[in-house]
Amino acid sequence: MIRKDQFQSSSKENVWLWLTKIITGLSIVIFLAIHFIVNHLIAPEGLLSYADILAYYSYPIVPVMEAGFLVLVVSHSFLGIRSIILDLNPAAKVMRVINGLLIALGSAAILYGLWLLIVLVGRSTNL
Amino acid sequence: MNNNDPSSHHFLRWFDPRHKSIGTIAFIINRFSALGLTVYLILHLVVLSKLASGGQAYDEFLILAKSPVIKIGEMFVIAGGIIHGANGVRIALNSFGFLVKIQKELFIGLMILSLAIIFYFGVHMFSGAQN
Amino acid sequence: MVWTIELCIARQKAGSERHYQTYQIEIDPDEYVLDAVEKAWAFYDRSLTFRHACHHSTCGACGMLVNGVEKLTCITPIRSVVQDKGRLLIEPLRNFPILSDLVVDTSSMFNNLNKVSFNQVASLPAACLPYESEQPEHAHPEYERLVDCIECGMCISACPISLTSSDYIGPAVLAAAQHESIQSLSPRILEVVDNKNGVWRCHSAYECSAVCPSGVEPGWRIMKMRQAVIAHRIKSFFSSD
Repeated sequence: MIRKDQFQSSSKENVWLWLTKIITGLSIVIFLAIHFIVNHLIAPEGLLSYADILAYYSYPIVPVMEAGFLVLVVSHSFLGIRSIILDLNPAAKVMRVINGLLIALGSAAILYGLWLLIVLVGRSTNL
Repeated sequence: MNNNDPSSHHFLRWFDPRHKSIGTIAFIINRFSALGLTVYLILHLVVLSKLASGGQAYDEFLILAKSPVIKIGEMFVIAGGIIHGANGVRIALNSFGFLVKIQKELFIGLMILSLAIIFYFGVHMFSGAQN
Repeated sequence: MVWTIELCIARQKAGSERHYQTYQIEIDPDEYVLDAVEKAWAFYDRSLTFRHACHHSTCGACGMLVNGVEKLTCITPIRSVVQDKGRLLIEPLRNFPILSDLVVDTSSMFNNLNKVSFNQVASLPAACLPYESEQPEHAHPEYERLVDCIECGMCISACPISLTSSDYIGPAVLAAAQHESIQSLSPRILEVVDNKNGVWRCHSAYECSAVCPSGVEPGWRIMKMRQAVIAHRIKSFFSSD
Protein backbone atom coordinates (compact mmCIF):
# COMPACT_ATOMS: atom_id res chain seq x y z
CA MET A 1 0.00 0.00 0.00
CA ILE A 2 2.80 2.43 0.86
CA ARG A 3 5.28 3.19 -1.86
CA LYS A 4 8.92 3.27 -0.83
CA ASP A 5 9.39 6.83 -1.99
CA GLN A 6 6.27 8.13 -0.23
CA PHE A 7 8.13 9.79 2.61
CA GLN A 8 11.50 10.36 1.03
CA SER A 9 11.89 14.04 1.54
CA SER A 10 13.58 15.83 -1.27
CA SER A 11 15.23 19.23 -1.15
CA LYS A 12 13.43 20.05 -4.41
CA GLU A 13 10.00 19.36 -3.04
CA ASN A 14 8.94 21.17 0.07
CA VAL A 15 7.61 24.42 1.36
CA TRP A 16 9.55 26.59 -1.10
CA LEU A 17 7.82 25.28 -4.20
CA TRP A 18 4.40 25.78 -2.60
CA LEU A 19 5.36 29.25 -1.35
CA THR A 20 6.51 30.17 -4.86
CA LYS A 21 3.09 29.20 -6.20
CA ILE A 22 1.29 31.24 -3.55
CA ILE A 23 3.54 34.32 -3.86
CA THR A 24 3.45 34.31 -7.67
CA GLY A 25 -0.34 33.87 -7.46
CA LEU A 26 -0.82 36.82 -5.14
CA SER A 27 1.54 38.98 -7.21
CA ILE A 28 -0.44 38.12 -10.34
CA VAL A 29 -3.64 39.34 -8.66
CA ILE A 30 -1.98 42.74 -8.18
CA PHE A 31 -0.36 42.81 -11.63
CA LEU A 32 -3.56 41.63 -13.28
CA ALA A 33 -5.52 44.43 -11.69
CA ILE A 34 -3.10 46.92 -13.27
CA HIS A 35 -3.07 44.99 -16.55
CA PHE A 36 -6.89 44.92 -16.77
CA ILE A 37 -7.23 48.57 -15.84
CA VAL A 38 -4.69 49.67 -18.43
CA ASN A 39 -5.86 47.40 -21.25
CA HIS A 40 -9.60 47.58 -20.81
CA LEU A 41 -10.52 50.64 -18.79
CA ILE A 42 -8.01 53.47 -19.23
CA ALA A 43 -7.19 52.91 -22.90
CA PRO A 44 -10.48 54.00 -24.52
CA GLU A 45 -10.79 50.99 -26.82
CA GLY A 46 -8.09 48.90 -25.16
CA LEU A 47 -4.69 48.54 -26.77
CA LEU A 48 -6.38 47.62 -29.99
CA SER A 49 -3.90 48.67 -32.62
CA TYR A 50 -0.26 48.02 -33.32
CA ALA A 51 0.50 51.72 -32.98
CA ASP A 52 -1.24 51.83 -29.56
CA ILE A 53 0.91 48.96 -28.36
CA LEU A 54 4.16 50.53 -29.53
CA ALA A 55 3.19 53.80 -27.83
CA TYR A 56 2.39 51.86 -24.66
CA TYR A 57 5.80 50.17 -24.72
CA SER A 58 7.61 53.47 -25.06
CA TYR A 59 7.07 54.06 -21.32
CA PRO A 60 10.15 52.44 -19.70
CA ILE A 61 8.15 50.98 -16.79
CA VAL A 62 5.85 49.02 -19.14
CA PRO A 63 8.30 46.45 -20.54
CA VAL A 64 9.75 45.88 -17.06
CA MET A 65 6.26 45.33 -15.64
CA GLU A 66 5.19 43.09 -18.51
CA ALA A 67 8.39 41.02 -18.24
CA GLY A 68 7.73 40.53 -14.54
CA PHE A 69 4.13 39.64 -15.28
CA LEU A 70 5.22 37.11 -17.90
CA VAL A 71 7.60 35.35 -15.51
CA LEU A 72 4.99 35.29 -12.72
CA VAL A 73 2.16 34.00 -14.90
CA VAL A 74 4.20 31.29 -16.60
CA SER A 75 5.72 30.14 -13.28
CA HIS A 76 2.37 30.07 -11.48
CA SER A 77 0.61 28.37 -14.35
CA PHE A 78 3.20 25.63 -14.83
CA LEU A 79 3.52 25.03 -11.07
CA GLY A 80 -0.27 24.73 -10.93
CA ILE A 81 -0.39 22.27 -13.82
CA ARG A 82 2.34 20.29 -12.08
CA SER A 83 0.31 20.09 -8.88
CA ILE A 84 -2.74 18.85 -10.83
CA ILE A 85 -0.55 16.19 -12.48
CA LEU A 86 0.87 15.28 -9.06
CA ASP A 87 -2.70 14.62 -7.87
CA LEU A 88 -2.95 11.99 -10.60
CA ASN A 89 -0.28 10.04 -8.71
CA PRO A 90 2.28 9.44 -11.45
CA ALA A 91 5.21 7.12 -10.73
CA ALA A 92 8.38 8.89 -9.56
CA LYS A 93 10.09 8.23 -12.92
CA VAL A 94 7.18 9.68 -14.91
CA MET A 95 7.07 12.69 -12.60
CA ARG A 96 10.76 13.36 -13.23
CA VAL A 97 10.10 13.42 -16.98
CA ILE A 98 7.06 15.69 -16.47
CA ASN A 99 9.14 18.01 -14.28
CA GLY A 100 11.77 18.24 -17.04
CA LEU A 101 9.13 18.90 -19.69
CA LEU A 102 7.41 21.61 -17.64
CA ILE A 103 10.72 23.35 -16.87
CA ALA A 104 11.69 23.23 -20.57
CA LEU A 105 8.29 24.46 -21.80
CA GLY A 106 8.05 27.14 -19.11
CA SER A 107 11.56 28.42 -19.85
CA ALA A 108 10.81 28.42 -23.59
CA ALA A 109 7.60 30.40 -23.01
CA ILE A 110 9.43 32.96 -20.86
CA LEU A 111 12.32 33.30 -23.34
CA TYR A 112 9.88 33.67 -26.23
CA GLY A 113 7.90 36.32 -24.34
CA LEU A 114 11.05 38.22 -23.44
CA TRP A 115 12.22 38.13 -27.07
CA LEU A 116 8.85 39.52 -28.15
CA LEU A 117 9.16 42.28 -25.55
CA ILE A 118 12.66 43.21 -26.75
CA VAL A 119 11.40 43.36 -30.34
CA LEU A 120 8.52 45.67 -29.35
CA VAL A 121 10.71 47.91 -27.20
CA GLY A 122 13.19 48.16 -30.08
CA ARG A 123 10.44 49.21 -32.47
CA SER A 124 8.87 51.65 -30.03
CA THR A 125 12.18 53.46 -29.47
CA ASN A 126 12.55 53.83 -33.27
CA LEU A 127 9.18 55.61 -33.50
CA MET B 1 -16.05 1.10 -11.87
CA ASN B 2 -16.04 -0.84 -8.62
CA ASN B 3 -12.45 -0.22 -7.66
CA ASN B 4 -12.55 1.57 -4.33
CA ASP B 5 -8.81 2.25 -4.01
CA PRO B 6 -7.43 5.72 -4.73
CA SER B 7 -6.71 5.84 -8.44
CA SER B 8 -5.96 8.46 -11.06
CA HIS B 9 -8.78 6.86 -13.08
CA HIS B 10 -11.22 8.50 -10.66
CA PHE B 11 -10.17 12.03 -11.66
CA LEU B 12 -13.51 12.83 -13.31
CA ARG B 13 -15.11 12.53 -9.87
CA TRP B 14 -13.16 15.66 -8.86
CA PHE B 15 -15.78 17.51 -10.87
CA ASP B 16 -18.83 15.80 -9.37
CA PRO B 17 -20.38 18.15 -6.80
CA ARG B 18 -23.17 15.74 -5.72
CA HIS B 19 -23.29 15.08 -1.97
CA LYS B 20 -20.41 17.50 -1.42
CA SER B 21 -20.04 20.73 0.52
CA ILE B 22 -19.33 24.17 -0.88
CA GLY B 23 -15.58 23.59 -0.56
CA THR B 24 -15.79 21.13 -3.43
CA ILE B 25 -17.49 23.80 -5.56
CA ALA B 26 -14.48 26.04 -4.83
CA PHE B 27 -12.13 23.17 -5.71
CA ILE B 28 -13.95 22.46 -9.00
CA ILE B 29 -14.05 26.13 -9.97
CA ASN B 30 -10.36 26.51 -9.17
CA ARG B 31 -9.36 23.48 -11.22
CA PHE B 32 -11.49 24.38 -14.27
CA SER B 33 -10.38 28.00 -14.26
CA ALA B 34 -6.73 26.94 -13.83
CA LEU B 35 -6.88 24.67 -16.86
CA GLY B 36 -8.81 27.25 -18.90
CA LEU B 37 -6.41 30.05 -18.06
CA THR B 38 -3.39 27.91 -18.92
CA VAL B 39 -4.87 27.12 -22.34
CA TYR B 40 -5.53 30.85 -22.77
CA LEU B 41 -1.96 31.72 -21.74
CA ILE B 42 -0.56 29.46 -24.46
CA LEU B 43 -3.00 30.81 -27.08
CA HIS B 44 -2.23 34.38 -25.98
CA LEU B 45 1.51 33.86 -26.43
CA VAL B 46 0.95 32.28 -29.85
CA VAL B 47 -1.33 35.12 -30.96
CA LEU B 48 1.15 37.73 -29.78
CA SER B 49 3.64 36.34 -32.31
CA LYS B 50 1.63 38.43 -34.81
CA LEU B 51 3.16 41.48 -33.14
CA ALA B 52 6.58 40.38 -34.33
CA SER B 53 5.26 40.06 -37.89
CA GLY B 54 4.65 43.81 -37.99
CA GLY B 55 1.87 46.34 -37.79
CA GLN B 56 -0.20 45.26 -40.76
CA ALA B 57 -0.41 41.58 -39.76
CA TYR B 58 -1.36 42.48 -36.20
CA ASP B 59 -3.97 45.08 -37.13
CA GLU B 60 -5.55 42.59 -39.56
CA PHE B 61 -5.72 40.09 -36.74
CA LEU B 62 -7.32 42.70 -34.47
CA ILE B 63 -10.22 43.17 -36.88
CA LEU B 64 -10.99 39.50 -36.31
CA ALA B 65 -10.49 39.96 -32.55
CA LYS B 66 -13.27 42.58 -32.46
CA SER B 67 -15.86 39.97 -33.45
CA PRO B 68 -18.51 39.23 -30.80
CA VAL B 69 -17.42 35.59 -30.53
CA ILE B 70 -13.88 36.60 -29.58
CA LYS B 71 -15.26 39.23 -27.20
CA ILE B 72 -17.38 36.62 -25.42
CA GLY B 73 -14.31 34.37 -25.25
CA GLU B 74 -12.35 37.28 -23.80
CA MET B 75 -15.12 37.78 -21.24
CA PHE B 76 -14.74 34.14 -20.18
CA VAL B 77 -11.00 34.70 -19.71
CA ILE B 78 -11.62 37.79 -17.60
CA ALA B 79 -14.22 35.93 -15.53
CA GLY B 80 -11.89 32.93 -15.13
CA GLY B 81 -9.01 35.16 -14.07
CA ILE B 82 -11.06 37.07 -11.51
CA ILE B 83 -12.66 33.95 -10.02
CA HIS B 84 -9.36 32.01 -9.93
CA GLY B 85 -7.64 35.00 -8.34
CA ALA B 86 -10.35 35.44 -5.70
CA ASN B 87 -10.25 31.74 -4.90
CA GLY B 88 -6.47 31.93 -4.69
CA VAL B 89 -6.75 34.79 -2.21
CA ARG B 90 -9.01 32.55 -0.07
CA ILE B 91 -6.48 29.70 -0.15
CA ALA B 92 -3.57 32.03 0.66
CA LEU B 93 -5.46 33.69 3.53
CA ASN B 94 -6.47 30.32 4.99
CA SER B 95 -2.99 28.87 4.59
CA PHE B 96 -1.50 31.75 6.55
CA GLY B 97 -4.09 31.27 9.29
CA PHE B 98 -6.65 33.93 8.39
CA LEU B 99 -10.41 33.33 8.32
CA VAL B 100 -10.16 29.51 8.25
CA LYS B 101 -13.18 29.21 10.53
CA ILE B 102 -15.29 31.22 8.11
CA GLN B 103 -13.87 29.75 4.90
CA LYS B 104 -17.36 29.06 3.51
CA GLU B 105 -18.52 32.63 4.07
CA LEU B 106 -15.19 33.90 2.74
CA PHE B 107 -15.66 31.88 -0.45
CA ILE B 108 -19.25 33.08 -0.93
CA GLY B 109 -18.23 36.70 -0.27
CA LEU B 110 -15.31 36.54 -2.71
CA MET B 111 -17.50 34.96 -5.40
CA ILE B 112 -20.13 37.69 -5.01
CA LEU B 113 -17.38 40.30 -5.29
CA SER B 114 -15.99 38.49 -8.34
CA LEU B 115 -19.39 38.44 -10.03
CA ALA B 116 -19.80 42.16 -9.39
CA ILE B 117 -16.40 42.89 -10.97
CA ILE B 118 -17.16 40.56 -13.92
CA PHE B 119 -20.50 42.32 -14.42
CA TYR B 120 -18.74 45.70 -14.43
CA PHE B 121 -16.20 44.49 -16.99
CA GLY B 122 -18.97 42.96 -19.11
CA VAL B 123 -21.00 46.16 -19.20
CA HIS B 124 -17.89 48.21 -19.96
CA MET B 125 -16.66 45.93 -22.74
CA PHE B 126 -19.95 45.36 -24.51
CA SER B 127 -21.26 48.93 -24.20
CA GLY B 128 -17.87 50.06 -25.57
CA ALA B 129 -18.32 47.68 -28.49
CA GLN B 130 -21.66 49.28 -29.42
CA ASN B 131 -20.21 52.78 -29.62
CA MET C 1 -43.64 4.46 15.62
CA VAL C 2 -42.33 2.10 12.96
CA TRP C 3 -41.21 3.04 9.48
CA THR C 4 -40.65 0.69 6.58
CA ILE C 5 -37.60 1.58 4.54
CA GLU C 6 -35.81 0.08 1.56
CA LEU C 7 -32.23 -0.49 2.63
CA CYS C 8 -29.96 -0.78 -0.41
CA ILE C 9 -26.52 -2.07 0.54
CA ALA C 10 -23.41 -2.35 -1.64
CA ARG C 11 -22.12 -5.92 -1.67
CA GLN C 12 -18.63 -6.74 -2.83
CA LYS C 13 -15.98 -9.24 -1.87
CA ALA C 14 -12.33 -8.36 -2.45
CA GLY C 15 -11.49 -8.60 -6.14
CA SER C 16 -15.08 -9.13 -7.28
CA GLU C 17 -17.62 -6.80 -8.86
CA ARG C 18 -19.87 -4.62 -6.72
CA HIS C 19 -23.61 -5.24 -6.73
CA TYR C 20 -26.46 -3.86 -4.64
CA GLN C 21 -28.90 -5.79 -2.50
CA THR C 22 -32.16 -4.34 -1.18
CA TYR C 23 -33.84 -5.26 2.09
CA GLN C 24 -37.22 -4.15 3.46
CA ILE C 25 -36.53 -3.08 7.01
CA GLU C 26 -39.02 -2.07 9.68
CA ILE C 27 -37.42 0.39 12.01
CA ASP C 28 -38.17 3.14 14.52
CA PRO C 29 -37.06 6.42 12.90
CA ASP C 30 -35.28 7.33 16.11
CA GLU C 31 -33.02 4.32 15.75
CA TYR C 32 -29.75 4.69 13.88
CA VAL C 33 -28.52 3.72 10.43
CA LEU C 34 -26.23 1.10 11.98
CA ASP C 35 -29.29 -0.50 13.60
CA ALA C 36 -30.87 -0.85 10.15
CA VAL C 37 -27.72 -2.50 8.78
CA GLU C 38 -27.68 -4.84 11.77
CA LYS C 39 -31.32 -5.76 11.13
CA ALA C 40 -30.47 -6.63 7.53
CA TRP C 41 -27.69 -8.89 8.83
CA ALA C 42 -29.77 -10.40 11.65
CA PHE C 43 -33.01 -11.09 9.77
CA TYR C 44 -31.99 -11.46 6.13
CA ASP C 45 -28.38 -12.19 5.39
CA ARG C 46 -25.68 -13.36 7.77
CA SER C 47 -23.05 -13.09 5.03
CA LEU C 48 -23.31 -9.29 5.10
CA THR C 49 -20.14 -7.86 6.62
CA PHE C 50 -19.73 -4.48 8.27
CA ARG C 51 -17.63 -3.07 11.09
CA HIS C 52 -19.07 -1.93 14.37
CA ALA C 53 -18.07 -1.99 18.00
CA CYS C 54 -18.97 0.71 20.50
CA HIS C 55 -22.25 2.03 19.02
CA HIS C 56 -21.64 5.44 20.65
CA SER C 57 -19.19 7.23 18.31
CA THR C 58 -16.05 6.38 20.22
CA CYS C 59 -14.45 3.58 18.21
CA GLY C 60 -14.79 5.02 14.68
CA ALA C 61 -15.48 1.59 13.19
CA CYS C 62 -18.85 2.14 11.54
CA GLY C 63 -18.08 4.95 9.06
CA MET C 64 -19.97 4.34 5.80
CA LEU C 65 -21.40 6.28 2.88
CA VAL C 66 -25.05 7.00 3.62
CA ASN C 67 -26.81 8.27 0.49
CA GLY C 68 -23.36 9.19 -0.84
CA VAL C 69 -22.21 11.10 2.25
CA GLU C 70 -19.74 9.91 4.88
CA LYS C 71 -21.58 9.25 8.13
CA LEU C 72 -20.75 7.57 11.40
CA THR C 73 -23.75 5.25 11.21
CA CYS C 74 -24.05 4.61 14.95
CA ILE C 75 -25.00 8.24 15.57
CA THR C 76 -26.90 8.96 12.36
CA PRO C 77 -30.65 8.78 13.11
CA ILE C 78 -32.79 7.09 10.48
CA ARG C 79 -35.13 10.10 10.33
CA SER C 80 -32.25 12.40 9.39
CA VAL C 81 -31.41 10.51 6.19
CA VAL C 82 -34.63 8.89 4.92
CA GLN C 83 -38.41 9.17 5.11
CA ASP C 84 -41.00 6.48 5.78
CA LYS C 85 -41.15 4.13 2.76
CA GLY C 86 -38.01 5.79 1.43
CA ARG C 87 -34.80 4.27 0.10
CA LEU C 88 -31.53 4.39 2.01
CA LEU C 89 -28.28 3.70 0.14
CA ILE C 90 -25.37 2.30 2.15
CA GLU C 91 -21.90 1.97 0.61
CA PRO C 92 -18.40 1.47 1.97
CA LEU C 93 -16.08 4.43 2.57
CA ARG C 94 -14.20 5.60 -0.52
CA ASN C 95 -10.45 5.63 -1.10
CA PHE C 96 -9.70 2.46 0.88
CA PRO C 97 -9.48 -1.07 -0.59
CA ILE C 98 -12.61 -3.18 -0.06
CA LEU C 99 -12.13 -6.21 2.15
CA SER C 100 -15.75 -7.34 2.17
CA ASP C 101 -19.04 -5.50 1.61
CA LEU C 102 -18.92 -2.45 3.89
CA VAL C 103 -15.55 -3.29 5.44
CA VAL C 104 -12.57 -1.40 4.05
CA ASP C 105 -8.87 -1.80 4.74
CA THR C 106 -7.75 1.29 6.65
CA SER C 107 -4.30 -0.07 7.47
CA SER C 108 -2.56 2.55 5.30
CA MET C 109 -4.05 5.28 7.51
CA PHE C 110 -2.99 3.53 10.71
CA ASN C 111 0.53 2.94 9.37
CA ASN C 112 0.81 6.62 8.53
CA LEU C 113 -0.59 7.63 11.94
CA ASN C 114 2.22 5.58 13.47
CA LYS C 115 4.74 7.49 11.39
CA VAL C 116 3.71 10.72 13.13
CA SER C 117 3.65 8.93 16.52
CA PHE C 118 0.00 9.83 17.01
CA ASN C 119 -0.95 9.50 20.66
CA GLN C 120 -4.63 9.05 21.42
CA VAL C 121 -4.22 10.60 24.87
CA ALA C 122 -3.22 14.22 25.33
CA SER C 123 -3.18 16.84 28.05
CA LEU C 124 -6.53 18.59 28.44
CA PRO C 125 -5.50 21.93 26.89
CA ALA C 126 -3.74 20.21 23.99
CA ALA C 127 -6.73 17.97 23.27
CA CYS C 128 -9.08 20.93 22.81
CA LEU C 129 -9.24 23.20 19.80
CA PRO C 130 -7.96 26.65 20.80
CA TYR C 131 -11.00 28.47 19.42
CA GLU C 132 -13.56 26.32 21.23
CA SER C 133 -15.86 28.67 23.08
CA GLU C 134 -16.13 26.53 26.17
CA GLN C 135 -12.71 25.70 27.43
CA PRO C 136 -12.54 23.02 30.12
CA GLU C 137 -12.83 24.38 33.61
CA HIS C 138 -9.65 22.82 34.91
CA ALA C 139 -7.40 23.01 31.90
CA HIS C 140 -4.26 21.98 33.72
CA PRO C 141 -1.64 20.10 31.69
CA GLU C 142 -1.63 17.28 34.24
CA TYR C 143 -5.22 16.38 33.33
CA GLU C 144 -5.50 14.19 30.26
CA ARG C 145 -8.22 12.98 27.96
CA LEU C 146 -8.67 11.10 24.71
CA VAL C 147 -8.11 13.30 21.68
CA ASP C 148 -11.07 13.97 19.36
CA CYS C 149 -9.90 11.92 16.37
CA ILE C 150 -11.53 8.49 16.45
CA GLU C 151 -9.60 7.31 13.38
CA CYS C 152 -12.76 6.52 11.39
CA GLY C 153 -11.11 7.42 8.04
CA MET C 154 -14.13 9.41 6.88
CA CYS C 155 -12.01 12.51 6.15
CA ILE C 156 -9.83 10.46 3.80
CA SER C 157 -12.95 9.06 2.14
CA ALA C 158 -14.29 12.57 1.49
CA CYS C 159 -11.00 14.15 0.33
CA PRO C 160 -10.79 14.83 -3.43
CA ILE C 161 -7.02 14.42 -3.43
CA SER C 162 -7.09 11.09 -1.57
CA LEU C 163 -9.53 10.01 -4.30
CA THR C 164 -6.82 9.98 -6.96
CA SER C 165 -3.56 9.83 -5.05
CA SER C 166 -2.71 6.91 -2.77
CA ASP C 167 0.60 8.56 -1.91
CA TYR C 168 -1.05 11.61 -0.33
CA ILE C 169 -1.02 10.92 3.41
CA GLY C 170 -4.45 12.48 3.81
CA PRO C 171 -6.26 14.74 6.26
CA ALA C 172 -6.43 12.33 9.23
CA VAL C 173 -2.66 11.92 9.32
CA LEU C 174 -1.93 15.60 8.71
CA ALA C 175 -4.36 16.56 11.49
CA ALA C 176 -2.66 14.04 13.80
CA ALA C 177 0.75 15.45 12.83
CA GLN C 178 -0.46 18.95 13.66
CA HIS C 179 -1.74 17.73 16.99
CA GLU C 180 1.55 16.04 17.81
CA SER C 181 3.55 19.11 16.81
CA ILE C 182 1.70 21.66 18.95
CA GLN C 183 4.55 21.62 21.47
CA SER C 184 7.39 21.24 19.00
CA LEU C 185 7.80 20.29 15.37
CA SER C 186 9.98 17.19 15.40
CA PRO C 187 12.25 16.32 12.43
CA ARG C 188 10.28 13.06 12.10
CA ILE C 189 6.98 14.89 11.64
CA LEU C 190 8.62 17.50 9.41
CA GLU C 191 9.83 14.70 7.14
CA VAL C 192 6.32 13.28 6.83
CA VAL C 193 4.44 16.54 6.26
CA ASP C 194 6.90 18.74 4.36
CA ASN C 195 7.20 16.81 1.13
CA LYS C 196 5.25 16.26 -2.07
CA ASN C 197 2.80 13.88 -0.39
CA GLY C 198 2.28 16.00 2.68
CA VAL C 199 0.70 19.23 3.76
CA TRP C 200 1.13 21.07 0.43
CA ARG C 201 -1.12 18.64 -1.45
CA CYS C 202 -4.30 19.91 0.23
CA HIS C 203 -6.40 22.02 -2.15
CA SER C 204 -8.68 23.54 0.49
CA ALA C 205 -11.96 21.77 -0.35
CA TYR C 206 -12.52 21.29 3.40
CA GLU C 207 -14.59 18.13 2.82
CA CYS C 208 -12.58 16.54 5.65
CA SER C 209 -13.91 19.08 8.14
CA ALA C 210 -17.42 18.81 6.67
CA VAL C 211 -17.71 15.07 7.32
CA CYS C 212 -15.67 14.71 10.52
CA PRO C 213 -18.07 13.32 13.15
CA SER C 214 -15.83 14.33 16.01
CA GLY C 215 -15.00 18.00 15.54
CA VAL C 216 -11.34 17.41 14.77
CA GLU C 217 -11.35 20.07 12.03
CA PRO C 218 -8.69 18.43 9.85
CA GLY C 219 -8.89 21.31 7.35
CA TRP C 220 -8.15 23.87 10.04
CA ARG C 221 -5.32 21.69 11.35
CA ILE C 222 -3.75 21.32 7.89
CA MET C 223 -3.67 25.12 7.60
CA LYS C 224 -2.10 25.32 11.07
CA MET C 225 0.46 22.70 10.07
CA ARG C 226 1.36 24.77 7.01
CA GLN C 227 2.01 27.82 9.16
CA ALA C 228 4.22 25.81 11.52
CA VAL C 229 6.27 24.37 8.65
CA ILE C 230 6.61 27.75 6.89
CA ALA C 231 7.74 29.41 10.12
CA HIS C 232 10.21 26.59 10.83
CA ARG C 233 11.69 26.62 7.32
CA ILE C 234 12.04 30.41 7.24
CA LYS C 235 13.66 30.41 10.68
CA SER C 236 16.04 27.62 9.63
CA PHE C 237 16.89 29.49 6.41
CA PHE C 238 17.97 32.58 8.31
CA SER C 239 19.59 30.82 11.27
CA SER C 240 23.33 30.26 11.15
CA ASP C 241 23.11 26.55 12.15
